[in-house]
Amino acid sequence: MQFQKKRCVAMLLAGGQGSRLMVLTENTAKPAVPFGGKYRIIDFPLSNCVNSKIDTVGILTQYQPLELNEYIGNGQPWGLNSSHGGVQVLPPYAKSKNSEWYKGTANAIYQNIPFIDRYRPDNVLILSGDHIYKMDYAKMIRFHEQNDSDCTIAVRDVPLKEASRFGIMNTRADGSIYEFEEKPKHPKSTNASMGIYVFKWSVLKKFLEDDEADPKSENDFGKNVIPAILNAGHKLYAYQFEGYWKDVGTISSLWEANMDLLGKHPQFDIYGKTGNKIYARNTAKPATFVAKSAELHESFISEGCEVYGMVDHSVVSTGCVIGKGAEVTDSVIMPDVVIENGAVIRSAIIAEGCHIKAGARIGDYHEGEERRIAVVGKDKTIAEGEVIEAGAVI
Amino acid sequence: MDTMGIIFSNIYDNNMGELTKERTSASIPFGSRYRQIDFILSNMANSSIRNIGIITKYNYQSLMDHLGSCEEWDLSLGDGVRFLPPYATGHTGAYRGKLEALQTALPVLQRSDADYVVLADTTVLCAIDFSLVLDEHVASGCDVTVVAKAGRADGKKKHQLALKLDDDGKVCDMAVDYIAPEDYLVGMSMFIMSRKKLIEVIREMTPHGKYHFERDFLLPQYHEGKLKVNVYSFHNVALFNESVEEYYENNMRLLSEDVRHSLFRSEVPIYTKVRDAIPTLFGQNGQAPNCLLADGSHIFGFAENSVIFREVDIDEGAEVRDSIVMQGSRIGAGAKIRYAILDKNVIIKPGTNLLGSPNHPLVISKGAVI
Repeated sequence: MQFQKKRCVAMLLAGGQGSRLMVLTENTAKPAVPFGGKYRIIDFPLSNCVNSKIDTVGILTQYQPLELNEYIGNGQPWGLNSSHGGVQVLPPYAKSKNSEWYKGTANAIYQNIPFIDRYRPDNVLILSGDHIYKMDYAKMIRFHEQNDSDCTIAVRDVPLKEASRFGIMNTRADGSIYEFEEKPKHPKSTNASMGIYVFKWSVLKKFLEDDEADPKSENDFGKNVIPAILNAGHKLYAYQFEGYWKDVGTISSLWEANMDLLGKHPQFDIYGKTGNKIYARNTAKPATFVAKSAELHESFISEGCEVYGMVDHSVVSTGCVIGKGAEVTDSVIMPDVVIENGAVIRSAIIAEGCHIKAGARIGDYHEGEERRIAVVGKDKTIAEGEVIEAGAVI
Repeated sequence: MDTMGIIFSNIYDNNMGELTKERTSASIPFGSRYRQIDFILSNMANSSIRNIGIITKYNYQSLMDHLGSCEEWDLSLGDGVRFLPPYATGHTGAYRGKLEALQTALPVLQRSDADYVVLADTTVLCAIDFSLVLDEHVASGCDVTVVAKAGRADGKKKHQLALKLDDDGKVCDMAVDYIAPEDYLVGMSMFIMSRKKLIEVIREMTPHGKYHFERDFLLPQYHEGKLKVNVYSFHNVALFNESVEEYYENNMRLLSEDVRHSLFRSEVPIYTKVRDAIPTLFGQNGQAPNCLLADGSHIFGFAENSVIFREVDIDEGAEVRDSIVMQGSRIGAGAKIRYAILDKNVIIKPGTNLLGSPNHPLVISKGAVI
């Protein structure tokens, strides 16, 4: 079946297991991990697409797809419930001759060539499902088209001493890329790849097919496909992005990104001045009740909570109860968590649906020490008076 | 049995003063994140009533904006939910009564294949399961079931519909606009009757100049023995917002856990329009003891015993007490307000003092700058 031709189709890589998030991704795909009180990580790239007028998004998933599938549903919360495009969850599927899991990021797109071809797009935008940021992809696509680029890679400036942790793009004065170095020991520039690519679809399709035919390839965009396109002499450009961006692939970066939302002038203002909203599937919960006994400082509180205790420098998600005399400091409380009276939570991430019983103590932090985040996985119950040490993962 | 719903959006508009200047009763904001209609519409949706007519007459722009395509209620505008603006535009002003308003619903009622119709206002807020009301109605064999609440009549206030039950639960007296003694139940403006009977009543009554559902139809026909009336006695919390004072008190009642837990239950959610506001941010000195808060606010000052809607800014040193602050309002630094209802997008300039009284809260109209 043929659809109306699209200028750009977005493909969101959401298949990673996210093992560095440990218990948080035990039963949840990484993009479905809650963030910022009422969001999930995937809301950010999805909302960016909608705000950039991209109306066709494929989500590539293969690990714990159930929750993600349920969350995305028909795409209505993001306005992606369209009959010509919209959002599609694309798990690997059995074909007549062979069936296989997605072997790598490039293979995941390769296996969905028929999906993309239906829209005959000029360009394909490749996104990751584990970054927190707000970006107007339309500007990047315009840049890509104006330069008649075959592949445009979004980059951001990182401190030189950190540059060897990233894929670094070495560019000429006009922004064209002459060299790509994956985690270089001696970086020549500070343009770090953000894992956001715009390809001309005709070019990408050919290189995906070549990559698939190469048995030695790891079928990865950064390791295989982009170097191959560069070596073949195609035009690659780096697109500079200035603004907040965070890879939330680890416990500490996920915690930090949540903390970046706090304060009068937060590092990351989700609402921002431009007002491009981040959309999320909303739960029908009533307003939050803050009791006489409650005390709140520098915190983010979502709807549907009942707060009787103290919350300091923390993010409290929808549907949580914080009991009298309980104390929550420097922590991320994910949705539907019950914290009973007198429980103490410090420098911790408490996953969805946990029940922390009275007087339990989770995590700790002393000024000047290295901060180690304690993590309690989804739907766990912590017994009355139980003590969970700093940095422990349950 | 298939049931359809009819919602009256403009009834009581004249009692609500400034709050209905530019909106229907149905779209009056309530409880930090809702509009009044959310309750009855969610109750119907939760009771599998998907075919719903909303009778409107004027000022219904904000109501249409709020409901959108009704997807948040898991209902669908156009396919199930319909706005029913006036059929004939002979006169202006509010409908004189529900029978008159129902004229406009006649074509929809005739086309429907529903067996029963639930008629309801938007001003009585509760969580009710209409399938239980319907079961009781059918079992009673009566023509009409009135949903009513015991314990509201106090012998002082006039009620639009009051009913007395005998020891067997049968109606033994009915009165309209009556200062009812304590042993009377008060009607919650929710009725169930068969669709055929309702069509018959509209066709018969309105041409004879009878336009008031309770006074011209229920009361005389009951007393003449032509109408068998059943009462469904509702036992949970029901909030009657029939005046500005009651509206203020009922918002404040949400600060009590019992009231909240009766109105908001996860198995029968109350849906509302999604705003996609970010969670509320509390600053270093932002405090809100005994308050109800929604998303999108910035609390850097102090609020107490108040109901705060979405996207409200309370700046440093501002003090808000015993007040209702609707969406998008801003209380400037050092301003003090007490016993006030700030409608949407009100700006209180830094240092301003506003004081109402507990019995007569000060109402500041939408968009005012003070």
